[in-house]
Amino acid sequence: MIRDTRTLRLLALAAVAAMLVAAYMIFIYAPQDQVQGPVQRIFYLHVSSAIAAYFCFALVLGGCVHYLVYGNLVADRLARAGALVGLLFTINCVVMGIIWAKPIWNWDPTQTWDARFTSTVVLGVVYAGYLLVRRFASPGRSAMRLSAVVGIIGFIDVPIVHFSVQWWRTLHPGPIIEQDALPAPMLVAFMVTMVCTVFLAAVMVAIRYRLELEQEARVLESSASLELLPQR
Amino acid sequence: MNGWRAVRAVALRDLRAETRGGELIPAMTQFVVLALIIANFAFDLDRVSAPRISPGVLWMVIVFTALIAFGRAFAADRENGSLDAMLLSPAGAAAIFLGKALAAVVFMLVIEAFLLPGMAVFLGSPINLEVVAAVVLATLGMAALGSLFAALAARTRAREILLPVLVLPLWIPLIVVGSRAVEEAMGGGALQGQPLPLLLDFDILFVVVATLAARFVLDD
Repeated sequence: MIRDTRTLRLLALAAVAAMLVAAYMIFIYAPQDQVQGPVQRIFYLHVSSAIAAYFCFALVLGGCVHYLVYGNLVADRLARAGALVGLLFTINCVVMGIIWAKPIWNWDPTQTWDARFTSTVVLGVVYAGYLLVRRFASPGRSAMRLSAVVGIIGFIDVPIVHFSVQWWRTLHPGPIIEQDALPAPMLVAFMVTMVCTVFLAAVMVAIRYRLELEQEARVLESSASLELLPQR
Repeated sequence: MNGWRAVRAVALRDLRAETRGGELIPAMTQFVVLALIIANFAFDLDRVSAPRISPGVLWMVIVFTALIAFGRAFAADRENGSLDAMLLSPAGAAAIFLGKALAAVVFMLVIEAFLLPGMAVFLGSPINLEVVAAVVLATLGMAALGSLFAALAARTRAREILLPVLVLPLWIPLIVVGSRAVEEAMGGGALQGQPLPLLLDFDILFVVVATLAARFVLDD
């Protein structure tokens, strides 16, 4: 991973520039939706955030499995960074979805609690739990191991939540991108936004990784000085 | 098989401790009665609203009793060090976990044996075989995940907070399908799909996953 502060700064600047490009694509390049009006422009960042969050959680899963099998500290740190950034993007996705749902569904509870909303909220809660375990477990191997279990079982459970709620009832707009129903300019705007958002998420994970590394060094330093105390 | 004997021994040990000490079940049955009284006043139940609301009351009471029961299962053993002693024995972590989960299932079934007739008496809910089957199947899955995360939470500083936060999102599938099954069995809604086989599928999945993960949670 990148440890050089200057490279990280450059990457952060590049991510800001990328998001400005995404903003141009969303607000100026993409045409207005005839049925939903300007509200539809939420879609670009809403779906992109969800995809960025999925990438982050895939990283968490990979990191947790790798840590449990090989005990690799880099994998654990990556999982930790991924969980925090993924949680942030999940919250962003849910909040944007709620804003979109106000004019479209008028927050009718029979429509609000559909499968995607419920499973996304559960996804967020599961990874918030992952981060809580890190906070409450005694630091070191124990925290890494316990949170890895939470990360893996949480990842298994989310599709099941989605399936069980869908089986119950669902109203979320279908996957329109796969059905080829999006006009070309909107598709271009969406693709650009998605790439920019995933890049932003990757930069955030890299920065977070660096912070975790520093935090670990601090904990190590303080525990080492504690061990030295009785000898003085 | 040696593994199964270890499972049985651990389960019987927990049950024996409960029959001799008698802590959990008396407290839990009191909790059930109090929860039903509160539900009665909070929802202002009458002949019309009771059939609609009682499946919800049933699942709320089951979820909260289960949280207390599972939280207790590992906390006591962690405090007095008997879990470490068990882990020193040749029985594997998976067998110890399954034994404790099995004992937790028995405790929950005893409590539910009070809860379901209580529902019939206080809320007038029709209790039939399908309701019992849905509750028992959901309890199995809840016990598998609940015991795993109780063991996990017992190793942290804030187990009372951590257990519900971790386990409630994972129970949602069981509660979604279980509440649909109970609603339908109590005559509240039309049948959609087959909830009981689905609950059984969840049980198998959760028991297997939790048993596989037990090694990482119990061993130090």
